[in-house]
Amino acid sequence: MSKFADIQVDPGIVKRAARGDARAHEIIYRAFSTPVYSICLRFTKVPAHAEDLVQETFIEIMRSIGKFRGEAALGSWIRRIAVTKALMFLRSAWTRRGQALADDWDDTTAGEPANHGVSSHPDDALDLDAALANLPDVSRAVVWLHDVEGFTHKEIAGLMGKTESFSKSQLSRAYQRLRPMLEIKEDGTEPEGAAISY
Amino acid sequence: MSSNEKEDEMICALTADERSALQAGLAALPETMPPRVVWQRIREQAEAEGLMRKPGMQKRSAWYTGIGVAAAAVIAAVMLQGPGETFPTVPEKLPSNSASTELTALQTLMVESRQLESDLRALPDAPRVMRAGTVASISDLEDRIAAIDYQLNDSGAQMTPGDRELFWRERVRLMKLLVQLRYAQTQRAAF
Repeated sequence: MSKFADIQVDPGIVKRAARGDARAHEIIYRAFSTPVYSICLRFTKVPAHAEDLVQETFIEIMRSIGKFRGEAALGSWIRRIAVTKALMFLRSAWTRRGQALADDWDDTTAGEPANHGVSSHPDDALDLDAALANLPDVSRAVVWLHDVEGFTHKEIAGLMGKTESFSKSQLSRAYQRLRPMLEIKEDGTEPEGAAISY
Repeated sequence: MSSNEKEDEMICALTADERSALQAGLAALPETMPPRVVWQRIREQAEAEGLMRKPGMQKRSAWYTGIGVAAAAVIAAVMLQGPGETFPTVPEKLPSNSASTELTALQTLMVESRQLESDLRALPDAPRVMRAGTVASISDLEDRIAAIDYQLNDSGAQMTPGDRELFWRERVRLMKLLVQLRYAQTQRAAF
């Protein structure tokens, strides 16, 4: 479940922010800076890039908040701006490297899957974090958008300027990479019920 | 299983259980707060581009001035009182009917905020071992409350009673969340 959905801000503060009230903007920043920074860091992996994206995101919020009508939740609106900024950054990074999005998998050399099961052990979060970080940028973004933020393949495709099949394919490849983490149980045996492969 | 779920399972190469475990694991990953300097950079850029007014630059109408003085007296009384003391009484002279309505709303929020502070202090100390997500949430809420307190205590800020009420209302809302979170934390620690 997206963390953005849990954050509420008084509508009066949003109205004041729309009028350029610095205090209201700071309150909105304090409310959403952590999830915005987290998603940017998740996408870019580099704190300095994530900080720049947070800045771009909140400047864009200030520019556009006058158009925010409250039809959607403020958190969803802010999340979309942050995601768009982060994806634009990734696109520009890919462009600089002269690569197409679909080539992203070929560029991954450090993506050996972690072979630990997901359980209640504290280290497992680190393992999953590391495994996620080792995915190619675009796949990591697709996994996060689809499984955590709840975007549909159609929405992801729209955000990335790609097809739904592209989004599904990226998710599938990412799952294959992450799947070994889910296979090993405490006693080392395989779980019952083999996965249906595509 | 619906056709969509079946299609999804075929596409994703994971069973439903595996997928649930993965999604739960991803959702539980801790969040990270940005460095404090980021807000400073944003504010400087926003002010340079004229996207937001510096605090204290807002126009104040003469109509608000009397109410502002009275509200400031209430705030000052609150700030001068030490912890554990009773809440200040309403100023002897209230400016006008509309102002008295605003002051009452403001004072109600202040009383509620003070009660929540008291509730928070009454909770047992935080356990030594806490979930990373809980620590982050508590820290985040405390940071947001501190930001509001800073605004409310800024002597250079020219806030209208409406501003103050809005900020106090937000403070109360965040304090409620903080108390709920800390209470849940103590309940978990107890079992």
